Amino acid sequence: MNNQEQNFSDEFLNAFVDDQLTPEEKAQVYARLSGDETLSRQICELRKTRDLVQLAYKQPPMPARGLATLSAGRKIGLGVAAGLMLLVGGITGWFLHQPSANQVISVAQNGPGDDTPAKVLFHVSDGHTEHLKGVLDDVESLMQYYRRSHQTARVEVITNGEGLGLVLAGISPYAERVRQMQKEYHGLTFVACQNTIDRFQEELGITAKLLPGVVVIDSGVAQIMRRQHQGWAYIQG
Amino acid sequence: MKKLIALSVMALLSLGLGTSAAYADDHAKQKVVYHINSDDEKLLKAALGNIQNHINAVGKDNLDLRVVMHGPGVDLLKLANKNPDFQDKVSNLKRQGVHFNVCNNTLVGRKIDYKNDLYDVSKEDIVPSGVAELAILQSQGFSYVKP
Repeated sequence: MNNQEQNFSDEFLNAFVDDQLTPEEKAQVYARLSGDETLSRQICELRKTRDLVQLAYKQPPMPARGLATLSAGRKIGLGVAAGLMLLVGGITGWFLHQPSANQVISVAQNGPGDDTPAKVLFHVSDGHTEHLKGVLDDVESLMQYYRRSHQTARVEVITNGEGLGLVLAGISPYAERVRQMQKEYHGLTFVACQNTIDRFQEELGITAKLLPGVVVIDSGVAQIMRRQHQGWAYIQG
Repeated sequence: MKKLIALSVMALLSLGLGTSAAYADDHAKQKVVYHINSDDEKLLKAALGNIQNHINAVGKDNLDLRVVMHGPGVDLLKLANKNPDFQDKVSNLKRQGVHFNVCNNTLVGRKIDYKNDLYDVSKEDIVPSGVAELAILQSQGFSYVKP
């Protein structure tokens, strides 16, 4: 599918997964993602590896914000170095800690003024316009709550089934609102389920084109389980 | 080998005893939050039924159960203000230790006067943000249930 086009290098994709690309570079990847199944799966795999490595920690490290301001060339090098360090650290940490299941699963305690980001996922599987509006209202009010209480937060809106409609270009009734919220809230990510995308293609003949900035994961349900395992709070939108 | 098996059995037994003893302890209460953001009367009625069944199964003394309402879900307590059946159910649950928490954003946004429009709500029952409360409670070890 992408033979004519230049393939992204592993370093580039790693930097993408670690959220270390410039908006323009990210846009390139997103533009290709919607039409390129192999690329989606490749990124899914990278994400999975990253998540597994982070799981080895009691408290997963956040991607360093400072990296985003460095030049593109150094950034990729640093991304690789950081990836290696993460891996080494993860393995060492694994042997040092031998964390019990309890420690890994326990939800991070956080309150106002705490450095640990609050982590919340919204699960959206209902595609009715009214329902989607309610979800976006809830997400927005949560983001504002964290802003008011000066607390950092990572929030994922995970769409699958009919809920995928929220993030489909040309179909979403709230494309503009999603764009504004992505711009407004740094820690907010909209996520789409690859399984649903495949199903839409097979059953309805719709080739899903995602809104810019939407991240594709292998399976919405698997992602929800991963996140809860990592201590994220779950809210059914 | 026999000795080893006997030892393992003893260890397992004592572990079992330990956990059941801890369960009776106040700190080992089952913690659960019910999320309500729908004004569908059937759903709300079923939710109150779920909660009663939950208490029957676990025992009111072994349970810290919170109901967090926001958006249209606040209608549960509006209904309880007018409908005697709902009112009975809610006050019954309260007598068994269930907390009904209302989202302040919703009260402000929908201009709801909690003293007059809602059934039996006091200041302590109001949380700043219902959605944030769901996240906070989960971070404190509460399980999440959406009826």
